[in-house]
Amino acid sequence: MTDSSTNSSGVASANSPLYAGRRRRNAIAKGLALAATLFGLGWLVLILGILIYKGIGGLSLSVFTEMTPPPGAAGGLLNAIAGSLIITILAVAIGTPIGILAGTYLAEYGRHDKLSTVVRFINDILLSAPSIVIGLFIYEIMVAPMGHFSGWAGAVALAVIVIPVVVRTTEDMLTLVPDTLREAAASIGLPRAHMIVRIAYRAAQAGIVTGILLAVARISGETAPLLFTALNNQFWSMNMNAPMPSLPVVIFQFALSPYEEWQKLAWTGALLITVTVLALSILARSLTSPRKSS
Amino acid sequence: MAAGERDVSEVVLKDTRVTASEAASRSAVLKRLRLTDTIFHGLTRTAALTVLALLSGVIIALVIGAAPALGTFGFSFFFDESWNPVTEKFGALAPIYGTLVTSAIAMLIAVPVGLMIAFFLTELCPKVLRRPIGIAIELLAGIPSIIYGIWGLFVFAPFVQQYFQPFMIDTFANVPILSTLFAGPPYGIGMFTAGLILAIMVLPFVTSISRDVFDAVPPVLKEAAYGVGCTTWEVFRYVVLPFTRVGVIGGFMLGLGRALGETMAVTFVIGNAHHVSASLFAPGTTISASIANEFTEAVGDLYTSSLIALGLILFFITFCVLAMARYMLMRLQKQAG
Amino acid sequence: MTMASASTPTVATPVAAHARIDTAGLAEKITLRNLEFFYGDSRALKGISMSLYANKATAFIGPSGCGKSTLLRVLNRMYDLYPGQRATGQVLFDGDNLLKDDQDINLLRARIGMVFQKPTPFPMTIYENVAFGIRLYEKLPKSELDGRVETALRRAAIWDEVKDKLNANGQSLSGGQQQRLCIARTVAVKPEVILFDEPCSALDPISTAKIEELIDELKKDYTIVIVTHNMQQAARVSDFTAFMYLGELVEFGATETLFTTPKDKRTQAYITGRFG
Repeated sequence: MTDSSTNSSGVASANSPLYAGRRRRNAIAKGLALAATLFGLGWLVLILGILIYKGIGGLSLSVFTEMTPPPGAAGGLLNAIAGSLIITILAVAIGTPIGILAGTYLAEYGRHDKLSTVVRFINDILLSAPSIVIGLFIYEIMVAPMGHFSGWAGAVALAVIVIPVVVRTTEDMLTLVPDTLREAAASIGLPRAHMIVRIAYRAAQAGIVTGILLAVARISGETAPLLFTALNNQFWSMNMNAPMPSLPVVIFQFALSPYEEWQKLAWTGALLITVTVLALSILARSLTSPRKSS
Repeated sequence: MAAGERDVSEVVLKDTRVTASEAASRSAVLKRLRLTDTIFHGLTRTAALTVLALLSGVIIALVIGAAPALGTFGFSFFFDESWNPVTEKFGALAPIYGTLVTSAIAMLIAVPVGLMIAFFLTELCPKVLRRPIGIAIELLAGIPSIIYGIWGLFVFAPFVQQYFQPFMIDTFANVPILSTLFAGPPYGIGMFTAGLILAIMVLPFVTSISRDVFDAVPPVLKEAAYGVGCTTWEVFRYVVLPFTRVGVIGGFMLGLGRALGETMAVTFVIGNAHHVSASLFAPGTTISASIANEFTEAVGDLYTSSLIALGLILFFITFCVLAMARYMLMRLQKQAG
Repeated sequence: MTMASASTPTVATPVAAHARIDTAGLAEKITLRNLEFFYGDSRALKGISMSLYANKATAFIGPSGCGKSTLLRVLNRMYDLYPGQRATGQVLFDGDNLLKDDQDINLLRARIGMVFQKPTPFPMTIYENVAFGIRLYEKLPKSELDGRVETALRRAAIWDEVKDKLNANGQSLSGGQQQRLCIARTVAVKPEVILFDEPCSALDPISTAKIEELIDELKKDYTIVIVTHNMQQAARVSDFTAFMYLGELVEFGATETLFTTPKDKRTQAYITGRFG
């Protein structure tokens, strides 16, 4: 093309319309990218901001000392918080050992065998499966045969959500441990299981703990699996064999109700859950980040 | 830690050999350790099989629970819009439609936005800000869905109802097709709002996976493009995107899986109407919202079974999407060698 | 006494040209007879036969891929950790074939220790690194354990550098120190043979010199086998040298003899740097 946009050597000059068009598109794209980022960040600010605004008003000592009230009355969230804590702790107690052991199998014993390939695939499915389906599953195998809702069912449902998370992180973290470390342990006569437990786990411990924290963060906000397993309970209940109160389900019930007192408590409860989840996530992140310092 | 002086040569020269009795006790110790070795191995294997058993259990439980409904209604279950607990006639059309539509809206918004955010983070963002902004976006993924739900119901839906929906209804009032899609009345809640909230929830997934694959592009490829004078955008569009195509699609599928299965956020704002409507602003229902709202009140075996059948359908859809995502990401790993 | 290859090979065994060795006063600690090694279906070691003498240092040298590390790792059956790898033939350790099926492998590895190319201290304190192996086999009161730890650290010539920071993390030491810590860890378990797999290739020259000095000292109490790609190191440190090429044992002899008057043309070529 020999118009004014090329100089004598035939290369397009900076003033050509083609180049101007490209620069314009580049600028537009950059602008859109920035806008997209601000868009995303904006939602975060909006959501967290309103959550804090609406939730903090109801935040008082009574939230932690009084039970969930009947409609129209004031009260707290004590039984819901206690119930959530118990169910969460149980879920972690049940799910973590299974998760760590399975992750250990994938990373240590069966690194390349067929069982591992299948389990990895299935684990990924379970990891992203809709949690309400897990709730249905536990309903079918625990609630229906038992004839009633129970805290146990809720804990098991959450444990099923914990397991894939812990399996994944355990396997990933153990795989990062170099094989030379394993060989060094073997070279003084250590049998395999002891090498894994005493050396490999130790080397990967930060990562494994992170995985557990992430699992806890994940189940802290889960509502759907509890809806028809642990159900809910208006009162203080430590009976695992009966419906158990939990914070997410209480929020669900209160938020959809027409009572102002209940709605206020729902926002406060939401704030509590969010703060817990975010704190756990940040804690988990900080455990695996400062690898460079030591 | 011995204090004081010691004759080093004495320390060094003695005790290099294992006596016969020491050797025997070593043997014994090792025999014991090997027993626990075998037990541990067995435990890990059992745990791995448990994972297998869980998935099988889910599928079997769902199939058994759904059997009465599917047996009664047969294939027409998928295409029937009716949902009447009184006459015990149930059909999955409305929930399936709602699930697909809300997810489609979510992906249509989240994918371009997510890709652009990933583009920003990998190419344009000053290095100091990369980590904080990345973490901030990922915090969006950490917020529990019930929070999105109540936020959506009390804050977002009223806003959409007051400002956004009237605007869209008026703007497209005379445009064919779009006028039906965006027809009033402006309820605030409905499939559109649910789709928007899902978009915000799925955004961090698309962003973080895209970001990971973009970061993995070998710098030499990009430098080669810059070297012939490409602009930043052109390098992204013509080098990075094609190269990471498979990973991006994998991330898309994972986000889609999340959108399809999302329950609490959608339940609050979908409106819970078992209708298939042409307008996106109309209330509807999704599979997970129906189950969440109705399961505990479902009276009668057929009602319960229909809801479980919905759960089975949802599980099947997400299973397919997740399997495809995995396959794509596996191909990406093979490509990277 | 020439070293001939095994008598009844089922596969063509390469016949190596070996120099005479004066074996007066030498005891055979480990004897290899027609050792073959396979990664899956591919044969990595072909008919290796040689003797490793007690309280002497034997070096395995050869170009990359010749099988010297593979051979070393047969001696403590490290390959057992990985499926698909197997060895046939005989490896007699004090007369007992350690390749046999009912061999107590963990006990074997306590008797034949190994130091690796990359220093790999356990993720524990320096004290714990050494005490770990001891505690594995014996229940000792703290004072005795302290003594054993100190002995091991002294023997690895690192005691003076770490005696004031025994509770520091093992990974906080420098590369050369970490490697000596690994040697202390190995020595603490009271082995009879110590295998070194290119122990200095990741270290700076000063640390390398320290470790070579150490190996010279260790010879008094242990039988040493060292794999090295550094010929000068082999010449400095070892009493006997085995030159390997493409999975075969090409030549074996006293170090001085092998380096000054090699019998095989390939040995000659490698030593003079014609290939590597």
